[in-house]
Amino acid sequence: VLQIAHGLGEVTNLPIPEELFISGAAVVLIVTFLGLAVLWPQPKLEDGPWRPLPLGLGRALTSAPVEILCGAIGLFLLGVVVWSGVSGLQVANANFATVFVYVTFWVGLVPLSVLFGDVFRAFNPWRAAGRAIAWVAQRAAGGSLPAPLQYPDWLGRWPAALGIFLFTTLELVAGNGDLPENVAIAALVYSAFTWIAMALFGVEAWIDRGEAFSVYFNLFSRLSVFERRGGELGLRLPLSGLPSLRPLPGTVPLLAVMIGSVSFDGFSETPPWNDIAPDIARFFEDLNLSPQHALEATFLVGLIGATLVIYCLYRLAMLGVRSVGDGFASGTLAARFIHSLAPIALAYVAAHYLTLLLYDGQRTWSLASNPLGESGTDLFGTAGRPVDYTVIGAKSAWYWQVGFVVLGHIAGLTLAHDRALVMYDKAKLAVRSQYWVLVVMVVFTSLALWLLWKANA
Amino acid sequence: MSRTQRFGLLASAVAIAVAAFLILGTGDDEEEATLTPGPPAAGTARETATAPSALEPPPVVEKVRLQDLAPVGGVKEIEAAKGDTIRFVVVSDGADQIHLHGYDITLDAGPGKPARFRVKADIEGIFEIESHEAEQAGKDPLVAKLRVEP
Repeated sequence: VLQIAHGLGEVTNLPIPEELFISGAAVVLIVTFLGLAVLWPQPKLEDGPWRPLPLGLGRALTSAPVEILCGAIGLFLLGVVVWSGVSGLQVANANFATVFVYVTFWVGLVPLSVLFGDVFRAFNPWRAAGRAIAWVAQRAAGGSLPAPLQYPDWLGRWPAALGIFLFTTLELVAGNGDLPENVAIAALVYSAFTWIAMALFGVEAWIDRGEAFSVYFNLFSRLSVFERRGGELGLRLPLSGLPSLRPLPGTVPLLAVMIGSVSFDGFSETPPWNDIAPDIARFFEDLNLSPQHALEATFLVGLIGATLVIYCLYRLAMLGVRSVGDGFASGTLAARFIHSLAPIALAYVAAHYLTLLLYDGQRTWSLASNPLGESGTDLFGTAGRPVDYTVIGAKSAWYWQVGFVVLGHIAGLTLAHDRALVMYDKAKLAVRSQYWVLVVMVVFTSLALWLLWKANA
Repeated sequence: MSRTQRFGLLASAVAIAVAAFLILGTGDDEEEATLTPGPPAAGTARETATAPSALEPPPVVEKVRLQDLAPVGGVKEIEAAKGDTIRFVVVSDGADQIHLHGYDITLDAGPGKPARFRVKADIEGIFEIESHEAEQAGKDPLVAKLRVEP
């Protein structure tokens, strides 16, 4: 068995039983056909209604003191990550840095964003520090300081796509990516890079498109009913946040990286991967790479391969949509339907990392009391708390996982249908364009189920 | 969309539902078929149930042998169902500490002193069993895997 050391996640999911795989796939197909038969003939989600939160809550939650407090908490946590990573015990799941970055932050913020909106925007340490420095600089300069460079249009979300790719490379490919020290170094390097980029292009411009985690969590927050408009928090229709996603360059690669990396994390636990991986590793060893580096190169090939497969499947489907007519280029179509993959990406994350969050997420509390993993430290009296692995059983995990995949499919379907109604003048063309979108969605959803069925089988 | 088209799509949905039902139905039959040789054994078990418990079949104890910090014959998977008592033994040619993840149990092992695990299987999932010494030596620490099915 070929394996990259994973210090996190002591419990691995049991594969879903075959019956559940078949019924899950059947439900996906049934939903697809039912959806086509009953979906609405007029677009509903584009420019959906928005109402501020009652009792002035919408303004209170976005007021300066709240922003400053949240930003300070974010900066503090970034500091704790770096400090514990550098000076704490170098054991992945006994150090605050690793658990906080890979579980609490990376996985935990996804459900928080979906439920409560763009939470990370408030707590983002890079944004908070960037704004604080900009504020001081403007005071010192005695006037407004425009960013020295204009964010280029062609750059779009490319930096974010690259950032997420590098993060998942550290997580899934690098053999020592879970070493607390390396997590701390990565955090420092990324902070420096982000602040330089902010100094060049402006804080908000970089947060909006370039900063990987802002873009990543913002995409999920668009599934939430909470939305900030004009400095006030309000409510919108479910799913209506995604159609307003601007189709900037790099968005399709971003989604491909998001879905591809989770797919690969699942695929690397399946028998087909265990069959081919040793051959790939041997190829790299023949190129005089050490066994460890050959293994990392193999996993890198897998990660890039999975991302490319997802990208190509989506672009192929868009070629199909183009054949329907009305003169849209396939690139335009790819950009205009990409928001419908956001719920699919969520389904992948939810199904794949559900138990990691529920189990290893519990370590957040014990490590908050003892961030360095030293014996004897217990700040809040929670240090000795063991992980309770009975919070969710294998059977309930299976049903939740399949449920997430089916729900993601329904949401993606709904969004694509709504968008098609806006794009095509003739309802007939809109429906015909959807056949192609449906095919790719069914493929992605079935792949998610297949991975749940085959991983660790 | 025309009425006939809508009906066609609904009919497709129904057809898929029926097909899935049939596939799952036959799946269950197969399972029952493989189980049919069971009853005689169950019958004898019931007959002996009145006898003293000393007559129960001895529990199966999986054995993992470690040589130079690596499991002989590769990484085995020890299977159990929830509620079972898991029993396995790790024998090592050198002093070692064996850690069962999830259940978080660490036992000493060494020449002539096997680590005997006896655990109630109350957590479902797949758990790694690792050698502390192999980890220290920078080798793959995986000794075996424990698989607890619900």
